[in-house]
Amino acid sequence: MLPVASLLILVPLIFAVVTFFTKTKDQAAGLAFLGSVVTLGLTLYAYLNFDSSTATMQFFDSIEWIPLLGANYSVGIDGISMPLILLNAIVIPFLILYSWKEDREAPNRFYGLILTMQAAVIGVFVALDFLVFYIFWELTLIPLFFMVNIWGGEKRAHASYKFFIYTHVASLIMLLGIFGLFYASWQQTGVPTFDIRELVAQFQFFESGLLRDAIFLSIIFGFLAKLPTFPFHSWLPDAYTEAPTAGSVLFILLKIGGYGLFRISLPMLSNTGNPKFMITMLGLLGAFSIVYGALVALRQKDLKRMIAYSSLSHMGYVLLGSAGLVALSISGAMFQQFSHGLIMSILFMSAGVIQSNTGTRIINNLGGLAKTMPKLTVVMMLGFMASLGLPGLTGFIAEFLVLAFSYANLPGFVLLALLTIVITAGYHLWAMQRAMFGVYNEKLGDVRDINPLQVFSMGVIALLVLYFGLNPSPVLNMMITNSEAIASLASLATALGV
Amino acid sequence: MENLMFLAPEIVVAATGLIILLIGIFMSPRTKNVLGYLATLGVLAALVLTTQSFGTETTMFSGTVSIDALSQFFKLVFLAVSLIVSVASIKYNENSDHTEEFYSLVLFATLGMMVVASSNDFILLFCAFELASFATYALAGFEKQNPRSLEGAMKYFVVGAVSSALMLFGISFVYGATGTTSITMIAENASLLAENPIGLVAVVLLIAGFGFKMALVPFHMWAPDTYQGSPSVVSSLLAAGSKKMGFVAAFRVFLIALAALQPDWQLAFTILAVVTMTFGNVVAVSQTSVKRMLAYSSLAQAGYIAMAFVVMTPMALTGGIFYTLAHAFMKGGAFIAAAAVVWMITTQRTGDLEVPDHLDSFRGLGKRMPLVALCMTIFVFALAGIPPTAGFMAKFVLFSSAIQAGMTWLAVIAVLNSALSLFYYARLVRYMYFLPPEGKKINLPFPYSAAILLSTAGVLAMGLWPEPFLQWAMEAAKVLI
Repeated sequence: MLPVASLLILVPLIFAVVTFFTKTKDQAAGLAFLGSVVTLGLTLYAYLNFDSSTATMQFFDSIEWIPLLGANYSVGIDGISMPLILLNAIVIPFLILYSWKEDREAPNRFYGLILTMQAAVIGVFVALDFLVFYIFWELTLIPLFFMVNIWGGEKRAHASYKFFIYTHVASLIMLLGIFGLFYASWQQTGVPTFDIRELVAQFQFFESGLLRDAIFLSIIFGFLAKLPTFPFHSWLPDAYTEAPTAGSVLFILLKIGGYGLFRISLPMLSNTGNPKFMITMLGLLGAFSIVYGALVALRQKDLKRMIAYSSLSHMGYVLLGSAGLVALSISGAMFQQFSHGLIMSILFMSAGVIQSNTGTRIINNLGGLAKTMPKLTVVMMLGFMASLGLPGLTGFIAEFLVLAFSYANLPGFVLLALLTIVITAGYHLWAMQRAMFGVYNEKLGDVRDINPLQVFSMGVIALLVLYFGLNPSPVLNMMITNSEAIASLASLATALGV
Repeated sequence: MENLMFLAPEIVVAATGLIILLIGIFMSPRTKNVLGYLATLGVLAALVLTTQSFGTETTMFSGTVSIDALSQFFKLVFLAVSLIVSVASIKYNENSDHTEEFYSLVLFATLGMMVVASSNDFILLFCAFELASFATYALAGFEKQNPRSLEGAMKYFVVGAVSSALMLFGISFVYGATGTTSITMIAENASLLAENPIGLVAVVLLIAGFGFKMALVPFHMWAPDTYQGSPSVVSSLLAAGSKKMGFVAAFRVFLIALAALQPDWQLAFTILAVVTMTFGNVVAVSQTSVKRMLAYSSLAQAGYIAMAFVVMTPMALTGGIFYTLAHAFMKGGAFIAAAAVVWMITTQRTGDLEVPDHLDSFRGLGKRMPLVALCMTIFVFALAGIPPTAGFMAKFVLFSSAIQAGMTWLAVIAVLNSALSLFYYARLVRYMYFLPPEGKKINLPFPYSAAILLSTAGVLAMGLWPEPFLQWAMEAAKVLI
């Protein structure tokens, strides 16, 4: 058996380093593509050898690192992390193909950063030690910062700093929570350890309810700001919009906030001093993000900014499903992360093509693009339909699971989210109608359609959206196995008091 | 007869300094380059000898010199800094007529710091402190034609002289109350100090005296001007080395000798630490001279290390001691990188010659000097505490110890400061990588690249494999408790 978990970090990282030293664009893109394909191969290997019927850690690997602090380099993959690794491994090669024909400065750094990002994100997903987890968590900041700051749009400096400092502060507060957890458990057991599962298990034995609440809140704050959710989202529209297309897609693939919820926060939730309050808070934030994101998306003039806000709205489902706290609503939240990654990749790629081929992203300046960009229109239409939740596509399954199964615990918030579906459908269709259909805007002149590489890369992702929409079980099964484990970890029903 | 083997590192450093001073007289400026290599060799030998005596615990010369884990750890810090500075100075002193003076001063300063680390007696401590101080006064003003260098040296000297006086005054009060200058004996007679109001006066004077070297606000006034005006290699020695001398002295004096007065000085250090880190970071944000910015960031870092005096748990002291070594590599390396840029600007005559370390000089450095830009990025990210670097590990241990001790508010202040610092570090990175270069690619001279790579290796080694360093730091912390 290959040590896949470690290789999934190492391979992209090594390819990234080599890519930094390439001279031409074709070399850089080719090498990066090779690296991402090898990573995809490894991921498929892991996926095929993966046992969906158990919630235990697979491909587990551990090396002693700092015995003094009880920190080990330990990695492993389970049903929470496998789909997200799969998502990253699938999208990155197509992202590289998509951007192959674009002209840009310093392509070696551009592609090197994409691979670094991949390594860092996968690192977060496989880490089973808080110190390793935090290191990769922080490492994800650096490629994204450079991505926005070097190749971003007009206000890139502002956007990149805002993103960097905003989420860095959130991570530091999370770090304080980790310290609290570490020392409280050290005091409890007399042995220092940074093992995530051990610390999460120790959490319930801390005597002070205040301490447990403080730890829980400071850790979840890091996750919520990264997710992001209302009201910690203000970095999102700027960063997503100013980033180059590849950067926006990397942001979309950065599913570490939601992952943290499932891995760390939810198992702790029922043991906090006041679980009912925490659940209400999370549900409220989730529902609010759904409504707020949709309403703000409705009035956006810029297509990319609209997509950014719709992303905020979708991430609300992750939070709402988590707060629902039954196995299937949590699975829905996990599936939303997976589905959202695929759908939003298509949407951002579409917006990127429109920007580069027509020179504008302002929806009202477009119009009738279906005439000159038929291929794009087909793919983009599928993406928009998936995003608004059309049955048969992945978005529907995720949102259906979240709404149907969170209802038991959080009926009010679910109703709020249900009402928003109308708005969601509205802004998607309205934007599509104004930009792609209707009378062709002659001011745009002669517009090229997407190139064959882009057809291929966006088409494959679109087909995957369709495939997983019709047959979600390849990833949903393992999610359900793990959500059941999370839901049964403590007697949640009693904690809920419902 | 004392076993002089324990003092072998000091003897080697002193002998190398004297030999360089002596043979330099007979050499022409062109052959004097050899002296740099000689100094490097001497420091390297001392470094190896120091690691040999790890784990011994003994006192020498009627208890005035103490060889223990704490002293050896700090000697390692000083020698590491001295090594980096000596290597980088080979280029700085190229074709200079004063090479031998420069190196012997560097070595004597190092010697002073090393003796301070071992001092177990106030008189020895003071003498060694002065040895290191005088050598660095002269080094700060080494560029005699450069008014900024002279201004920095003058300020450093005047403030330094006053603070030495304060320190001596404090020592005299301690002696007056207890009748001894031995740190061990003072600790035994601590009740005499604790009951006497003179004890409080002594604490205030000693904090002022050491605070000057540690550059804690409000005793920091000299630091920005001196760090900016001095030759960059000397700034590296001052910020990375001589500052730590203040810390090791303060560790011994406050935690061992004056342990009975803990409530008094702990309160003082609480205020100093918080004010220093906040002031340093806030002021650093608006700096346009990189060396000045590094100077203020150095204040902030001193504020973090001073947290060890506030929290006072074994974990905190381990963190503080570990931090001094990490800071030596990060800050030492950053100043050497600045030295390389200053060298580039002055030899190319392209940028602002008045302020060669201006932020604008760093424009497009990623293209002009890729190695310097990359390593500088690592240094500033390490200073900001981004993993996987030494700075992250150091902050990790130190800040977490505050949480352990229940001082969450202090950890929160430190963490917020750390986040703020990212702003000005990231700006430097932006200048190096995102702005277009103003000039062609430059070949970096070997001494600079060697020194920079050495520091980078230190920063990364401590970040990726911190276990042995933490172990040493923990041994050192045990001496204090």
